Amino acid sequence: MNYTAAEYKSDLKPVWCPGCGDFAVLNSLYRTFAELKYETHETVVVSGIGCSSRLPGYVEAYGFNSLHGRALPIATGIKLANPKLNVVVVGGDGDGIAIGGNHFMHTARRNADLTYIMMDNEIYGLTKGQAAPTTPLGDKTKSTTYGNPEAGVDPCALAISFGATWVARAFSGDVVGTTKLMKQALEHRGFAFLNILSPCVTWRGEDQHKEIRAKIQRGEITIGVLHEVNTPTLLDEIEEVRAKAVASRPSATKSDMLRAFA
Amino acid sequence: VFAARKLTVMNHELSLSIVGAGGDGAVAAGDILSMACAREGLHVMKTEAYGPQIRGGESSCHVRVSAAPIHAQADALDALVVFSWADFARFRAEITLAENALVFHDEKDAPPEDLLGCRIRALPFAAQRSAKNIFALGLLSSAFGLPAEGMREAVRNRFRKKTPEVIEANMKAFDAGFAEGVTVDAKKLEYVKGAPKLLMAGNEASAVGAIEAGCSFFAGYPITPSSEILHFLGEWLPRIGGRFVQTEDELAAIGAVVGASFAGAKAMTATSGPGLSLMAELIGLSAMAEVPSVIVNVQRGGPSTGIPTKSEQSDLMHAVFASHGDTPRVVLACTGVEDSFHTTVDGFNIAEEFQIPVIVLSEQSIAQRRETIEASALTHEVVDRRIATDVEAYRRYRVTEDGVSPMTIPGIVGGEYQTNGLEHDEQGRPNSMYSMHATMNEKRYRKLDAIAQKYPLFERYGAADADVGILCWGSSLGVVREAVDRLDSPRGLRVAAFAPRILAPLPKRAIEEFVANARDLLIIELSYAQQFYKYLRTEIDLPREHTHVFARSGGKNLTVSEVIDQVQRMFVRDEVMA
Repeated sequence: MNYTAAEYKSDLKPVWCPGCGDFAVLNSLYRTFAELKYETHETVVVSGIGCSSRLPGYVEAYGFNSLHGRALPIATGIKLANPKLNVVVVGGDGDGIAIGGNHFMHTARRNADLTYIMMDNEIYGLTKGQAAPTTPLGDKTKSTTYGNPEAGVDPCALAISFGATWVARAFSGDVVGTTKLMKQALEHRGFAFLNILSPCVTWRGEDQHKEIRAKIQRGEITIGVLHEVNTPTLLDEIEEVRAKAVASRPSATKSDMLRAFA
Repeated sequence: VFAARKLTVMNHELSLSIVGAGGDGAVAAGDILSMACAREGLHVMKTEAYGPQIRGGESSCHVRVSAAPIHAQADALDALVVFSWADFARFRAEITLAENALVFHDEKDAPPEDLLGCRIRALPFAAQRSAKNIFALGLLSSAFGLPAEGMREAVRNRFRKKTPEVIEANMKAFDAGFAEGVTVDAKKLEYVKGAPKLLMAGNEASAVGAIEAGCSFFAGYPITPSSEILHFLGEWLPRIGGRFVQTEDELAAIGAVVGASFAGAKAMTATSGPGLSLMAELIGLSAMAEVPSVIVNVQRGGPSTGIPTKSEQSDLMHAVFASHGDTPRVVLACTGVEDSFHTTVDGFNIAEEFQIPVIVLSEQSIAQRRETIEASALTHEVVDRRIATDVEAYRRYRVTEDGVSPMTIPGIVGGEYQTNGLEHDEQGRPNSMYSMHATMNEKRYRKLDAIAQKYPLFERYGAADADVGILCWGSSLGVVREAVDRLDSPRGLRVAAFAPRILAPLPKRAIEEFVANARDLLIIELSYAQQFYKYLRTEIDLPREHTHVFARSGGKNLTVSEVIDQVQRMFVRDEVMA
């Protein structure tokens, strides 16, 4: 391998709409993998269900396009079974905060050794335009004809409160900035959460892109690292447990195990 | 036509129960007695029952000790120790006393008047305070010839971390009880001391089976009555290089299992009905992505929260059909404690070889009862996953004759693939064409044919061509076996029992042969909705006029006399009709 971005690109063509922010996120991911010199056979990209969850198919690596909301537990299992693997979780805001919200909380709380990249478009795209937990109050969508009666939530604020040890916000319109943050996320030890504002031209309108850029310029949206601490990861703690377990009974043969029943 | 054979070997076995309030130590006494008998080489089966309280409240244990192998609890008790009649009242409906049974109770607590046909003896239990259970052990050991030295040793061992005064007080209580028991007129247990046996619960046997199979990853969420599997593997997996995680819910548990298995680990979760309901969607993923997974489901009373602490056989249909779409899966059923070990290893072997989800059905009545087992019986052949190493033109979901495709795991150079819950082509790429869907469905279902060929697991007991063939499954088999042994027909009618140990795919040929050779069939199950009967009918031609069904709600274990009674009724009915 020469570790060029192109080598991480699979021959599968994305199903995304022209202008979708997820193309830029995918490009940033190729670049990041190249910069970090990830081996394709030691890398696993895991997702749930949604437009953005199609992403693993577009990456030359091991991939798991799983079930709606369940990417994080599956990724946790993969990482615990083989800690040498680079495990990256990708998906949308509905997948991660609505149906998969409980796993988001607990995977962050455990400080599982994963990178979680959320492509946040404030809408359900694949099911054609219903309100998501991130859709702002009052917005009209396919499921909120008279305006959204619920306030949207900030995924980064959730991640910090859940105990994520690295949290940042990026904008897909800035590939260089996103790639820089993505690299930091992948290099972080423990649970890193990167929320990427990734406009949906089809269901949020052609102007969502411009609006996000304007809000960033006015300082209404902060881009960059929002939170960073270094605490022992889930694997660190599991190794601690293992050391205690081995010390408690240095010999652990089958006959040692059966002695508890004799 | 049939009569229940009189048990002529009464002095070769004994069934007793100890009932008390929380803190009386009824269950602890049962543990000590059972362990002492197991060490003496006797056969023991011990069950417990509790009130709904977390701590305190009434509790009881039921111990059957025998010189010969046993497969079920006895229907009636030979001896009963009651520390408090108020607590006994909670279990009254579930306790049957044998004729002339011996009942011991506290002298200051008057027995109920409806206790007929037994010999009642008042003793100073309360005066023994916290050692009343140890006093009871001494009493039982001399009254019935149970191993006194073994019990003394077990009592000493139980209190080994206490002060010498505490140990001394308990030994005194034991001796006082022993002196009382000498004056009791009862048949003594006759047995030849044998090699010590292990005393193990079904959940523990499942966990030991998982380790035997090479399980290196467990994820689970606590749920009664399966949590002991989680406890045991949480203690042992870290010791032997495995990894363990207690997840936030059952969705995450099976999710982590599928993930770990995708990465190459032999992985398992354990749950009960409500958890299995939550896992349904991910069972479909395991089947679709063809990632091996093992799910031990310990059945309890349902639906909904049901009766968490009591047994039922009502998750059968859910196990066999759970998850939307055409979802191939394997369902195995444990018939007893020792079998829980073997069935769990079988579960891993099938899952790993055929890249398929396997549900191992256990039941509360197996999972939480203790039985004696020979340590030497706990071995079982282990099959490992075939990992593809030749990655030349690698296609993860290549259509093969037996449906099993080459599988790489992350870390293998050139073996990269994307797996999917979406329908996919041979390379794992999403594909929604009808022809691809049909091809892949056929491929996935072909694995079941191969499994049916290789694993036609069942147990058959009794006469070769029977007049009455009893079809049952799971925990019922042990009870039915004992009933078959006890059914006595002066006209020479023969009875046989059959229990599939694999419920999906069913061992059809063996069942069909059993059905063809029996004159009349009796289906026995603990499901009010007759799930086993209805499931059998979808797969096997049962002769309508010759098939009888005994299906009732769980919450109370099947008894030998119920089975005998059902067989007798079949013939009464036949005679009336003739």
